[in-house]
Amino acid sequence: MIVDVNAYLGHFAFRRLRHNTASSLLALMDSKKIDKAVVSSVGAITYRNTQAGNEELAEEVRGHSDRLIPFAVINPFYTGWQDDLKICHEEFGMKGLRLYPKWHNYQLSNPCCRELVNDATERGMVISIPIRVEDNRQRSWLLNIPDITLKEIVELVKAHPKARFILLNGIGYTRCPLGRKDNDLPANYVIGLSRLSAVLANELGQLITNLGTERVMFGTGMPFNYPDPALVKIEVLDASEADKEKIFSQNAMTWLKL
Amino acid sequence: MQKKMTILQKTSNPPLPQLHVSRRTFLKDSAATAVAIGAATLPLSCAAVEKPVPVTSKDRVCKGKVIDCHAHLTHRSRATWETDDRKLIEAADKLGIDQLCCSTLTPRRPATADGFRECNRWTADGIRRFPGRVLGYCYVNPGYGREALDEIRRCVGDRGFIGIKLYNEYTCTEPVVFPIVELAIELGVPILQHASHSHYFVEDQPRISDGGHLAELARRYPEAILICAHISGGGDWEWTIKALRHASNVMLDTSGSVTDEGTVDMAAAVVGVDRLVFGCDSSMTAGMGKIRGASLSTQDKEKILGGNMMRLLRRRKS
Repeated sequence: MIVDVNAYLGHFAFRRLRHNTASSLLALMDSKKIDKAVVSSVGAITYRNTQAGNEELAEEVRGHSDRLIPFAVINPFYTGWQDDLKICHEEFGMKGLRLYPKWHNYQLSNPCCRELVNDATERGMVISIPIRVEDNRQRSWLLNIPDITLKEIVELVKAHPKARFILLNGIGYTRCPLGRKDNDLPANYVIGLSRLSAVLANELGQLITNLGTERVMFGTGMPFNYPDPALVKIEVLDASEADKEKIFSQNAMTWLKL
Repeated sequence: MQKKMTILQKTSNPPLPQLHVSRRTFLKDSAATAVAIGAATLPLSCAAVEKPVPVTSKDRVCKGKVIDCHAHLTHRSRATWETDDRKLIEAADKLGIDQLCCSTLTPRRPATADGFRECNRWTADGIRRFPGRVLGYCYVNPGYGREALDEIRRCVGDRGFIGIKLYNEYTCTEPVVFPIVELAIELGVPILQHASHSHYFVEDQPRISDGGHLAELARRYPEAILICAHISGGGDWEWTIKALRHASNVMLDTSGSVTDEGTVDMAAAVVGVDRLVFGCDSSMTAGMGKIRGASLSTQDKEKILGGNMMRLLRRRKS
């Protein structure tokens, strides 16, 4: 069983994506033997009103709830986000959120964001945070969106010990408290492996040693990314089959109550 | 602007290079170069090696030799260099990579002549330490003119290096680079040119080359064998691929940390699989994963993973 906690559907404003509809993503998943994927709206990254993206996503995944697990994109600085969160959770059955503080121009430490995290946590929703959407060196001339710093994430996980965070598309965790053993941080976050090295510096192996196998999840970033690099990481990882199974699916199944 | 001026001053310190072989001489040789593809014998260091047994053999996409066209050995100012080099070979073993085309770069650029000569001695040592696994690129700063050319002759002629690595000391269309290109043509070896294209001024690399520069250089020297480094190295890869569409003597190295879906597929569609060479540039699982993920035939992937680089290596003239 393979569960991908880092997948997307929809159009990106700056690059054509393939495999970005439910049917084409499922076909890609079939070809890679990926059983389930957590998906959110790509369009909502650049829409002013992210709820339009959530509605598109809900429509797109209809009939595929056995394999596509929709997450909502909420901007806590946009009016009506509380209504959007309620609809996404109660009507669309979305089990979690994706936050884009840099793209939506707010601070993770802002009270509005803190309120959103608290509300989502009360609903039992998981909060995933892509550290980046794409490599900033290839950015359009229209914008310059930096990566979220891991220092901001440290403060967030400390401030919300009861929340559950999935950190995506990041690296360098072992150079900050998030990836260190005995870091005095709540164990309320897991790390997606899409950009982690599995050879040479082997940050993936270091994180498993420091935090435990339970704190790493499989995620590809498709259709932004080829899914294969993430699959290769697990193949070359020096870990037992049981531990690989945890990373591939069990950890996500537990967190998402699948 | 101030910063750029400073760098210009720094990089203009080395003496201007002296052209010792005219371009006309090389142009005369170009026809012979073209027909030499596949005809020459491999240098000793490229000879057949015993294949490593990759951990991922069950998933291996290529039955032929796999060559990483863009790799680096670690500069020895780093205390862990020996372990790091060993890890590179171990990673190659795990991923089923038979050979790695390596350069050693100075930690800071522009490189001095002593700096690049030291790096190349270490690359030569790497070839000895990992026989059959490491192939060498000679790294030079073109600004050192005669010293750079002598170093290339020493490395390619005496040490069996397979090519030349140019970094960002100069944009590849600057005249100071031309003697290097002409010597590469004479020797029949490729130039791996560091490159990227961003839609903003890259302050710490004011003279970085991009696909457009390489296309211009390729037009000037149609007999040269040029490799545009890491199309997945962070810049706008769609721009790079399109810029190189008509530059038939420029190969595109697929390396880099970016794993954007469609990169290899678009490159194959626009320039053709025969112009793609597999590379990692230390992003090992990204490098292999991109090729595995591309919607190409096994035969096409075999070309990218090693066949095309083998073809380039056979163009060596001595």
